[in-house]
Amino acid sequence: MRLLQVSLRSLLLYSLILVLVSIPVSIFSIREILNEEVDESLALHSDQFIKHIKSYEYLEDLEMDLKIWDQLSYDITIKPSEGVNAVKQYQTVLQYDSIEQELHRFRLLTSSVDIKNKPYLLTIRMSLVDNDELVMALGIVQAVLIVLLAAGLLLLNRSLSRKLWKPFYNTLNQLKAYELDKNESIKPEKTNIIEFDDLNKTISHLTDRNRKVFLQQKEFIENASHELQTPLAIFQSKLDNLMQNPSLSESEASTILELEQTAQRMTRLNKNLLLLSKIDNDQFTDLEEIELSQLASTLLSNLKSMADLEKISIQTTIDPLTIKANQTLIEVLLTNLFHNAIRHTTSTGKVSVEIKGRVLKVANTGNPLTMDSDKMFERFSKEGRSENSSGLGLAIVKKICDSSAYKLSYHFQEGIHIFSITF
Amino acid sequence: MKILIIEDEKQLVKSMAQFLRQESYVCEIAYTASEANEKILLFDYDCILLDISLPDGNGLKILEKLKDNNKSDGVIIITAKNSLDDRVKGLNLGADDYLSKPFYLPELSARVSAIIRRKRFDGNNKICFREITVDLLGKIASVNDQTVELTRKEYDLLIFLISNKNRVVSKNAIAEHLSGDDAELMDKFDFIYSHIKNLKKKLSESGCEDYIRTVYGLGYKFTA
Repeated sequence: MRLLQVSLRSLLLYSLILVLVSIPVSIFSIREILNEEVDESLALHSDQFIKHIKSYEYLEDLEMDLKIWDQLSYDITIKPSEGVNAVKQYQTVLQYDSIEQELHRFRLLTSSVDIKNKPYLLTIRMSLVDNDELVMALGIVQAVLIVLLAAGLLLLNRSLSRKLWKPFYNTLNQLKAYELDKNESIKPEKTNIIEFDDLNKTISHLTDRNRKVFLQQKEFIENASHELQTPLAIFQSKLDNLMQNPSLSESEASTILELEQTAQRMTRLNKNLLLLSKIDNDQFTDLEEIELSQLASTLLSNLKSMADLEKISIQTTIDPLTIKANQTLIEVLLTNLFHNAIRHTTSTGKVSVEIKGRVLKVANTGNPLTMDSDKMFERFSKEGRSENSSGLGLAIVKKICDSSAYKLSYHFQEGIHIFSITF
Repeated sequence: MKILIIEDEKQLVKSMAQFLRQESYVCEIAYTASEANEKILLFDYDCILLDISLPDGNGLKILEKLKDNNKSDGVIIITAKNSLDDRVKGLNLGADDYLSKPFYLPELSARVSAIIRRKRFDGNNKICFREITVDLLGKIASVNDQTVELTRKEYDLLIFLISNKNRVVSKNAIAEHLSGDDAELMDKFDFIYSHIKNLKKKLSESGCEDYIRTVYGLGYKFTA
């Protein structure tokens, strides 16, 4: 959920509650005010009526007149009190309205009055606003209010998120696209909002620092690999001299061989690490036209005698293909793929290499992977326990494909591992 | 035959010199670029082993100086920086070969002798060891003037072994020499063994004495 939606939701909820609460409150208060007004005017009416009645001294047959009056008048009744001596009181009652011909709410003022020393009961009534209609009217008004409020808030919210949050989303998109080893640095646009500027400044600072550390790290790996070459060379040269000793025993000789193989492993690891970091550092920039088909055939023919030893057959279907790429990288790419295929082919198995269109396919028969196929391209992930394998070959293949934007894919079907690269 | 080793790593220089002296080369040593500059002007060498990164300067400068003074010493560049740039630059400047650290001393020795042969005999030369003669130009090996049909790998192997005669050459060094990067694919050296076996067989069938000795599974020694 977006931040603005959260705030919008609270705002909408609050206004809804406010509007809903306001309906009974306003009904109640409006009714109170109306009642007060009605009561006042009832009192006024009755006072005036009594004043008038009392001044009509000429009325002879008062009783008859009052009877007639009572019949004629709609809102005023006056009857002899017949012993009931009521105090002046207001009440709200439902009465039959003879004009509208339905039950209607009225406000009554009952008071006793003496006319010519005779007690009468005077009731004045006044029609009240219908409750249902009042609720209806108020409800409609409030509903319209809610709709207007919600629509207004939504529109406001949308334009706010477009305008106000634009710099934020800009920065966010830049961060999403940011890759430590590719982009230079994040360049957020200037805003007038303190929080955003603060955020942008912090992000720029953070990415710049990360990048610096990353570059130092990359440089360190390359330097370390370089520095290791000389001690390795010394180690190897000492072994070469040591094995010239004519009085070596058999166990000493085999120790020397083991040492040499260990040194060789270190050398290969180091060489591959150096290669990886050189690719990382974009040190293979010279591009040239390479006849991929020819290069692949040459490399494969070199490998044939080794494959023969394990009774592995190599089949090739190679169409001519020329690509523009770095010679060293392509050689490493092909060599590593071919080595990988031969290394993981079981004895008497088959390796087949196919170049068709711009797609190179290297397939070999072999046992299914025991590891996850995604892990295969990670550094130092090894299938099996081959000591001769550095565990970096496929990582280098992937690195080269990534850096040259070649599409690399792997799948396993019917006992055949297939790597394909689209150039 | 005189060799100049220009290299600042004393331990490495010591081993290189020790190994090369067995081949009865005379080795002189320069640990710095200034020492080296002095020596190349005063003396002529059959081969110079040149480390590119020296404490007081780039080895490529020494190479330029050699060429400026019309010296024809053979030069093998040795460097820890296995970069294509340096290799191309070095070879363009007139270096004869390029070896990146770490390397096997038999490999170094074989390259040194190849360069010396080329310089001394203008490329038109033969390697002889008793009844074996290898014509480097025609790439033909013969025993008692009878041609022996060898595959390319067997031919390379023979030259490598003769170049390192009387010395133990490990299987690893042979594998690396014959197959380069493909060497890492090889398990248990079956590959080397089959080549050695075939070479021995072909030589003995031509009436050649067996000069290839196995050294405790460590490697081989070509010796009379």
